[in-house]
Amino acid sequence: MTTDLLPTAGVLRAEALKALSVRTWWALAIPVALLAVMVNLFGGLFSSAVAGVGDGLPGILLASLAYALSLTTVFAALHGVVLATSEFRHRTVSTTYLLAGRVPTLLAKSAVAAGAGAAYALLAIVLGLLAGLLGQGAAPLPSVGGILALSGIGILVSALWAVLGVALGTLVVNQAGAVVALLVYVLAVENLVSLILRSGTQEGSAPTAVARLTSFLPANAGDVALYDLPAQELGGRFASSIVEGLAGVAGPPPAWGALLVLVVWAGAGVAVAWVVGGRRDVT
Amino acid sequence: MGREPDGSGRIEVSGLAKRFGTVEAVRGLSFTVEPGAVTGFLGPNGSGKTTTLRAILGLVAPTAGSTLVEGAPYPELTAPGRVVGAVLEAQGAHPARTARRHLQVCASAIGVAEERVDEVLALVGLADAADRAAGGYSLGMAQRLALAVALLGDPRILVLDEPGNGLDPQGIAWLREFLRGFARSGRTVLVSSHQLAEIAQTADRLVVISAGACVYQGAADGLHGRPAVRVRCSDPVRLAEALAARGVLEIDHVADGGLAVAADAVLVGDTALAAGVAVYGLVEERADLEAMFLRLTGGGVA
Repeated sequence: MTTDLLPTAGVLRAEALKALSVRTWWALAIPVALLAVMVNLFGGLFSSAVAGVGDGLPGILLASLAYALSLTTVFAALHGVVLATSEFRHRTVSTTYLLAGRVPTLLAKSAVAAGAGAAYALLAIVLGLLAGLLGQGAAPLPSVGGILALSGIGILVSALWAVLGVALGTLVVNQAGAVVALLVYVLAVENLVSLILRSGTQEGSAPTAVARLTSFLPANAGDVALYDLPAQELGGRFASSIVEGLAGVAGPPPAWGALLVLVVWAGAGVAVAWVVGGRRDVT
Repeated sequence: MGREPDGSGRIEVSGLAKRFGTVEAVRGLSFTVEPGAVTGFLGPNGSGKTTTLRAILGLVAPTAGSTLVEGAPYPELTAPGRVVGAVLEAQGAHPARTARRHLQVCASAIGVAEERVDEVLALVGLADAADRAAGGYSLGMAQRLALAVALLGDPRILVLDEPGNGLDPQGIAWLREFLRGFARSGRTVLVSSHQLAEIAQTADRLVVISAGACVYQGAADGLHGRPAVRVRCSDPVRLAEALAARGVLEIDHVADGGLAVAADAVLVGDTALAAGVAVYGLVEERADLEAMFLRLTGGGVA
């Protein structure tokens, strides 16, 4: 990669200014904050989702934090989609490409979106912790190390999904289309595909190779990364099956493996956006 | 990647072709734009002007041929915002952003100091409206804002696509003076229009295209200066042949059965006499630019 493809500090600053000078970033922060508070205030929501796991375990707050992060990550992706498609919607893309170049623009937007995604995750963790301490006062506190580790994972997952959002937006161009495509995929398509992939596995037997593919889908990979740590705190040697139940996967890899999968997805998304967006006629 | 501009201020289009699906927007177009002059890029709507300008700026990938700006394809220029300023159609600002913020974003991307923002705002006459959201701008103000963006990097070349759209008469007069001054300072202006009248008073040179191909390229005066003679005569075909024998080849048959000839009236009369063709009427007309433009672009019969 030559230096010309990397955005200059000025181009990065320009993209950050763009993101901050419209309402999108804080409009999307509202549902992130609300979800983080609600999910963690009533940790029971989460424990009821995990059959056979009661309150009073040290992992429960960690688990409800992970659940909140799993829900709020989509807003980071939405922000990325809006950052990318707004250029086309408001017809600023010609100016942007003329002044900054196509590839530097894509990379700068990815960086800014990743920053915003990380900020969303941080917001969810801070508010989630506060709400959790209030609402789940009786539950033992998770260790500081556990909270920090989950925070790191949550920030990475959210940032990577934001980058995927930029890639998707650059590819689809149409803002409404890209938003709908993202939501339909995350809320329906991936679950459906996971269901089909898992269908060949008998109850109680080892998952088939096809079923194991479920962990390699991007939303599932994010969930696996998030649930790995809380599941170990909660379930010990049953951790793997807890993650399977929560993320809807079979034979999940450890958190670092799932993060790597997500890194590859984000990288692949940017690469496709690079090639397709780099050639597209802007008329 | 990353080619240094050669500082020439020259734009070279050679053999440019662009096909959108089954539509051939531009077919084998070649021309050069030199600094120190306003070059008018003229053609009817849909003749390929916008596609050509966007190809020059690297926004549209040519099917064939090439476009060079100061010796390099636009996307490969280092610091392109300091070489070329562009005012294109369909080029906007985010409606929620103020003009000042829009310009600050652009200045940062180009890498020019933020003081430049106030300078260009004053230059295009938007200083008073700078802190209003661009969404509330009139078409004319949006056009001025686009020009302000184009001028941020103090470029050597200005490319403008139908900049008169949305400007009021004062705005057009102002823009005309501005472009003239810009060219007088030794820099390059390439400005497109489908209205000849708009460009005739500004342009020193013209590139006229029709259906994606070049039909005239040269001094604006050259287009003005061609003589035209209308002849009504007993035998138009014989006269045309006789004229062709004398090297006069630009001859059109006009609706009333006569001829329109791009030649001097004396030559036409002498040729008719020598060929034994009776002349019933001979009208010398200095073809005005509009008529010539229509003839060149196939928009009408001379």
